[in-house]
Amino acid sequence: MHDERTLALSKAMEEKKDQSYNKMIDKFGDSAPARAVGATTHSGIPIKPAYFPHDVDDIDLEKDIGAPGQYPFTRGNLPAQYQFMNWANQPVMGFGLPEDTRARMDHLTAKGMTGYFGQTNYNLVYDLVSHEGLDPDHPGARGRVGQCGMGVYSKQDMAILFEGMDLRKINVVHITYYQSVPALAQYIALAEEQGIPASDLRGNSMNWYHQSAYVGSSAFAPDNGQKLAVELISYCNKNMPRWNTTNMFGYGVEEAGGTAIQEIGLMLAYGIDLVRDAKKTGMSADEVLLRVGFQISQANDFFEEICKVRALRRIWATYMHEEMGAEDPRGMHVRIHCHTSGAVLTAQQPLVNLIRTTLHAFGAALSGVQAMEVSAYDEALSIPTEESATLALRVQQVIQEETNITAVSDPLAGSYYVESLTNEIAKQALELVAKIEEQGGYIAAQKKGYIRREIEASADRWRELVESGERAIVGLNCYKEENEPKPEIFRVDREAEKIAVDRVQKLRADRDADKYDKAMAKLKVVAEEFADKDVSEIGDGSLIDAAVDAARADATTGEMMSILTTALGWKTPHEY
Amino acid sequence: MSIDQQSDSRIRVLLAKPTHDCHDRGVRLVARKMRDAGFEVIFCDFLVPSEIITNVVEEDVDVLGVSCSAGGHMPIFEDLVAAFKELKLDDLFLIGGGVIPEDDVTELKGMGVKAVFGPGTSPEDAIAMIKQEFAA
Repeated sequence: MHDERTLALSKAMEEKKDQSYNKMIDKFGDSAPARAVGATTHSGIPIKPAYFPHDVDDIDLEKDIGAPGQYPFTRGNLPAQYQFMNWANQPVMGFGLPEDTRARMDHLTAKGMTGYFGQTNYNLVYDLVSHEGLDPDHPGARGRVGQCGMGVYSKQDMAILFEGMDLRKINVVHITYYQSVPALAQYIALAEEQGIPASDLRGNSMNWYHQSAYVGSSAFAPDNGQKLAVELISYCNKNMPRWNTTNMFGYGVEEAGGTAIQEIGLMLAYGIDLVRDAKKTGMSADEVLLRVGFQISQANDFFEEICKVRALRRIWATYMHEEMGAEDPRGMHVRIHCHTSGAVLTAQQPLVNLIRTTLHAFGAALSGVQAMEVSAYDEALSIPTEESATLALRVQQVIQEETNITAVSDPLAGSYYVESLTNEIAKQALELVAKIEEQGGYIAAQKKGYIRREIEASADRWRELVESGERAIVGLNCYKEENEPKPEIFRVDREAEKIAVDRVQKLRADRDADKYDKAMAKLKVVAEEFADKDVSEIGDGSLIDAAVDAARADATTGEMMSILTTALGWKTPHEY
Repeated sequence: MSIDQQSDSRIRVLLAKPTHDCHDRGVRLVARKMRDAGFEVIFCDFLVPSEIITNVVEEDVDVLGVSCSAGGHMPIFEDLVAAFKELKLDDLFLIGGGVIPEDDVTELKGMGVKAVFGPGTSPEDAIAMIKQEFAA
């Protein structure tokens, strides 16, 4: 990257610097802080006290860095970053009954929540009952209706949620776990009632089956999860060209205790497996990748988290293009919804979390993400209050409006440290990908427990560093407060559960029983056939067609999931 | 002392987490730390509290720890406490963990839950408490 004169000068400068620096190390002796003599990133990458031109000499400007909007997209997907359009504000919303969630949607819209090019988007999370594939009147739902998400279980609930809205004009992210098929089916059926064809709908399914490798809740058997993922992608390819089919859930890797390297390495490893399997059904790499997006974390190690995003863009584009056959640049892009870390927030001195989330959001903006959810300061205590949710949105707005960082794309490019660290993270993530490929790919590695073990080892290592005080967390292992005031806790009204139960029972009583029975019998047959299919036989859309029919007949999430889980196998992840 | 006798004297702990609740990082750490501390640890996911009760009886455990980080903890503990009363399992040492609001912790303690280990506590706190309880 540099000419000989610059290299020689650079090395001489570092040597001179080291002479003085080493004297300080000698002077401090054992009392020198760990960061002075052997600093590492959160991922464990050794870092130097200062970086020089020769540290980036093995990095190729064209092949490794490029320009904003140019392959390999290290510096961003498009020639413009935020100059014409800020990142989209995508706060996660969802609690209580659909009308409770709707009130929060309207509240944040009134506070200036803005999507791409001024559009309205809603990032809506379903509750734990729905994630578990249950209805609110199941015994396992007790105490959980509308907790950690919205209690939406049917087309009818969705109608309350979106009442008076033109579904053509909004963009809806449906944050489900493994109930992506029922949720999409219900949304399509609701749109039909408004006279809107599925092809006009904009939004996002999660298609999150891959997260069962590291997220500890019940899930489909991995091979069948993969078939469901491919089915949804194939269906949307044919019927819903504007729909984003799959979200690569890197966020969950870091939240489970994984490192930045593991987060991006695992997402690439899964992406490879997904494209490979989808190709068996006759789809091209581009057909899969054009509608794949990412959810990526932004946690405490400021520069590593930024470099991780840059590295991800590079390794994804290069691997997908060179190895998997992606030809359309949009299929090589890593479109990122950044979710600032919840796992690093503390229950102690909760307002301090506002400072942490501001740093996370600032880092995310510097790394060039497309959309952002900033965690609320009371995340470690409860569902965000209206006040904390508003402040989390304000964090984004302050950075967007006041800092002037939106004027320049990838502003940290060229920093010796940032380029060197980006390169090292990319290298180590690709090493992880190679290890997983040796095992036969992501799903094979998941079934061996490899992915979970790797993440758990990182979680343990982090915990030990925090407990020993090597990694500081303000309010937790340093600067503690003795008598903290009692924080305000948001609670979902327990009455919501009763109402949800009444509604679902009334729905069952009122709906057209013949129509329902017929649709569900069909769904059952199709699901059983689906279970017997090899992934290469997926793609006729029969499963989602049947689910949409069931949704038209007012089938609930729990009812549809009961058929799918029975046919396809459903266990806690610890059993896989 | 034979190996069998040694294993008989180990404190038996059942750790349980709702299947709905993806926040398992804490409880899995506690499980590993407790194993390191010499406890015999059984881990179970559950959908409804009756699954825990079955496990408690079948495995004859000394300690039950229930982790909840996604709400819905009160009905679970209510069911458990009622069942243990009925089964006369008065000696069972019941603890909780996860994200549980302070007011609920007070209520849970009133119901007989010995302690709730929330964010910021360490597995060692729970281990020390159990060791103290079962010393002698």
